[in-house]
Amino acid sequence: MFSNTKCECGHQNHVGTVLCESCGKPLTETGADDFAPLEMRYDGVARRSQKENPDLIDRVWNFFSSVKIAVWLIVLTLVAASVGTLYPQENVFRETLTYEELSQYYRENYGKAGEVYHALGLTHVYSSWWFVTLLVMIGTSLVICSLDRVLPLYRALSKQQIRKHLQFITRQQVVYAGPAPEDRDAWLERFGEQLKKRRYKVWRDGDALMAEKNRFSRWGPYINHIGLIIFLLAVLGRGVPAWNMDQYMYLDDGETEQIPGTNYYVKNEKFTVEFYKDSELPESLKGTLRPKLFNTEATLYECTESCDDPTKEPVLRAVETHNIQVNHPLSYHGLKLYQTDYSENQRLISVSPVIINKKTGEKYGPFYLPMRNPALTYDVGPYNLTLRDVFLDFGIDAQGRPMTKSRDPNAPAFVFRIKGPDLPETGETYIYFPNRVDKVRFSQDQLNKSVADKLDIRVDSMENVSFSNYTTTLNVRVDRAMPFVWVGASIFMIGVIMGLYWNHRRIWLRFDDGILSLGAHTNKNNYGLRTEVAAALNKAGLSVSEKSLDNRRKTD
Amino acid sequence: MSQLFQISQSALMAALLIYSASFVFYMIAVGGKKWSNREPAAHNRKWGWIAFGFAAAGLAAHVTFFITRWIAAGHIPTSNMYEFMTMLAMAIMLAFTVIYLIYRNTLLGAFTLPLTVIIIAYASVFPSEIQPLIPSLNSNWLRVHVTTAALGEAFFAVGFAAALVQLLRVVDFTRTDKAGKRARRWVEGFLLVILIVIGFLVSVFAFRAAGYEAEFRQEVVKIVQGQEQVSVRTVQYGLPPIVKPHNSEVVRFDPFLGMEKPLFTEPSWMQGVNSGRKLNTIVWSILSGAILYLALRLIARKQLGAVIHPRLLDIDPEDLDEISYRSIAIGYPIFTLGGLIFAMIWAQVAWSRFWGWDPKEVWALITWLFYTVYLHLRLSRGWLGAKSAWLAVIGFLVVLFTLIGVNLVIAGLHSYAGVS
Ligand code: HEM
Repeated sequence: MFSNTKCECGHQNHVGTVLCESCGKPLTETGADDFAPLEMRYDGVARRSQKENPDLIDRVWNFFSSVKIAVWLIVLTLVAASVGTLYPQENVFRETLTYEELSQYYRENYGKAGEVYHALGLTHVYSSWWFVTLLVMIGTSLVICSLDRVLPLYRALSKQQIRKHLQFITRQQVVYAGPAPEDRDAWLERFGEQLKKRRYKVWRDGDALMAEKNRFSRWGPYINHIGLIIFLLAVLGRGVPAWNMDQYMYLDDGETEQIPGTNYYVKNEKFTVEFYKDSELPESLKGTLRPKLFNTEATLYECTESCDDPTKEPVLRAVETHNIQVNHPLSYHGLKLYQTDYSENQRLISVSPVIINKKTGEKYGPFYLPMRNPALTYDVGPYNLTLRDVFLDFGIDAQGRPMTKSRDPNAPAFVFRIKGPDLPETGETYIYFPNRVDKVRFSQDQLNKSVADKLDIRVDSMENVSFSNYTTTLNVRVDRAMPFVWVGASIFMIGVIMGLYWNHRRIWLRFDDGILSLGAHTNKNNYGLRTEVAAALNKAGLSVSEKSLDNRRKTD
Repeated sequence: MSQLFQISQSALMAALLIYSASFVFYMIAVGGKKWSNREPAAHNRKWGWIAFGFAAAGLAAHVTFFITRWIAAGHIPTSNMYEFMTMLAMAIMLAFTVIYLIYRNTLLGAFTLPLTVIIIAYASVFPSEIQPLIPSLNSNWLRVHVTTAALGEAFFAVGFAAALVQLLRVVDFTRTDKAGKRARRWVEGFLLVILIVIGFLVSVFAFRAAGYEAEFRQEVVKIVQGQEQVSVRTVQYGLPPIVKPHNSEVVRFDPFLGMEKPLFTEPSWMQGVNSGRKLNTIVWSILSGAILYLALRLIARKQLGAVIHPRLLDIDPEDLDEISYRSIAIGYPIFTLGGLIFAMIWAQVAWSRFWGWDPKEVWALITWLFYTVYLHLRLSRGWLGAKSAWLAVIGFLVVLFTLIGVNLVIAGLHSYAGVS
């Protein structure tokens, strides 16, 4: 079908060419009096994928360069994506569940259908190998289809012949034919002026004219596809572990913790939650607790010395302070801390107890005792205390030994060695529960035996206690691929705007035997082109109506 | 504040009435061309301008509603279904104004205005009170995201309206061969769907005006870690319960037309919050839509498409094709920016990940992919005319599903917080 590729104008075309690359004459003739609008895609130039004897690589290339295949890939992605919204995906669970647990969950909540849905792997569609494969195939298709088309298109547009074949002109979508005006040159001058006013570039070759504008918009689709490629690569790049961190931290007021795997420490200075007042709520919500603001006053520290030495206190330098709120994360050199959640936990931060000598009734102190990182020795009046052990969440293990159930100060207990009046030289062991309930629950006085009769450690007034009411949950993230995601998205936007908000328009005109023939083409918005051509012709003295220029109507 | 709120509500009511008037004038502009002693083109132009003037006035009232509510609430009113839908309607009128000024096509008005009216009416099904923001919604990125996404969707809506006229125009109602019949059936089916939507609105507002109420006690059995947990919910109905919730008993039932108790029970596999009520609403919508359809068929004595079709004959289907495509082409970048990119930025700031495969996000992606397919088929595979018009129609259905369906159906099935 593509056998004869030499045009009558003498130009030798590539196999697969539809319109002569030089004069534009249709090469795949059906009938001499065929006036149907021409297929103008890529100006009829052959693409790489149109080869006569394709080998395997050609076939792969052809597969991925086909828009038909691309459309199928997009449709499949679309369908797969929608199937994934039928039931909740596994990623809604923050904890990791086993296959059986998940299966049970879906069965219990969504019945047989849910169980089958899970068994088919549809509960993790978006991370499944086949979904990712679809995305990779779209990416491949994007690369190949762009390469396949952009060069031929560039070639076609960069060396355009001004005088086109008559058939090329009369078979455009927008056409005009009429008697040639008296003074061709003057008329062409006038018409050219009109087109220039409409921001066309105008070329003349004798009495043939060509005008063109907004050629750049033809590159829009290729630019947007490049943006998409970058975007897809960035999304794949998020799978690189070193580029990614996602973990949660739970901090009471005043608590400082190391961000695991980094040199950074975060301190929660204070967490506050604010609720709407009843007067701010509409009728139907009055009396309900509706949060207005969560705020973690946070300080980020960088460790500068003795960071990996467990025997020494790390030396910290504050690098950033920020009020972390929902929608206002703390951000420092690619490290981001987000307000995720909070829980209500009343926990001690510090107490300042006094020591009372039970015999004399004398009172010493108070001395400052924080739950986290307390000092090792204390001198309180005549007493000297050495901290032996701290159990933040006191309990007794199976062997009857004291232990701590967690690292959170739910039931703190301090074990001191106390020396002082009435006590032996070597001192006595004394266990102190700052929470009154714990003191009773764990029978502090019995544990302390005889020492309990000699002295008492207790908090005098509420002023000497500081509490944390909430534990804030912070999400710590590093996502080094994000800049590329935004770059890809921006390039996509630029390309899509170029391609869709401007149209490439071209007008060709020539005279034959006293007949003026004009053809015009645009890659989209024929209506606008028609209006423009009609206006220019009218201003140049030829009265035509917009509708009469439409070639499509004449054929149906 | 409450006074401003009242002004705001009145402005919306005014907008609704003016839009309805504009719709009537557009109908006169289109339908009255063949009235005796008139010059059709002049008639069309004159009434077209009157109708457009009303549409613009309606939009002014609508903008007044939006701004006064914004001031009264202290935040831009885009944060619940009522606010979003009223804003979407406003965006549609904006998009319509743009496209109308380019193409001056009265038919576009005759089809876009009823769409706007329907959407405002749908918004009014939801509570209109001003609600305070929860922290995650208090973000400028979210506001930019919601408004631009709505504007993009509004252009899709105008593209949909043009495509619908195009379909009614090109489907030949005199053809009796197989393909012709099928095309007619599809168009007619789509008109029925529109009537079902109208049926839904009519029944909700009629029973609301009549103060109808019914209430059920529903026992819900959930299995939590292998243990059955029974909880009791109260389910309220605003429409007479044809279908009652699964495993429930009547607390209150206003009799309606001799119906004293529900006729059916919701199947047990529907498990969401209020899924019984939703099913009942769907049954009512279909019933009343079908009744409306039959009534209109009885009056017209032919297919509804065949009634509309002859009034569209003097318009070029190619122009409609162009309008629909142009509108979608304008909307596509706006939607990409608002519906996806701004959404990703907001998600990144608020939830620490730009994409989380949450159903709403996924459906925004599906909408976008769908219009991508539309553009590719049109550009590179030459899908023009009726095929392309069907895609534009389906595309807007996808938009609506993303906006409403996801909250109603998917959220309802999964019983996370939904609306109505
Ligand atoms: C999700 C993925 C894709 C998106 C969002 C996308 C988007 C677009 C857009 C917006 C246009 C411009 C439309 C216009 O100018 O009216 C376009 C054009 C095009 N796309 Fe894609 N595209 C995607 C994937 C692909 C793939 C995989 C192929 C591979 C075959 C492809 C091939 C093309 C072609 C050939 C054009 C027309 C170029 C021209 O007019 O010269 N697209 N695409």
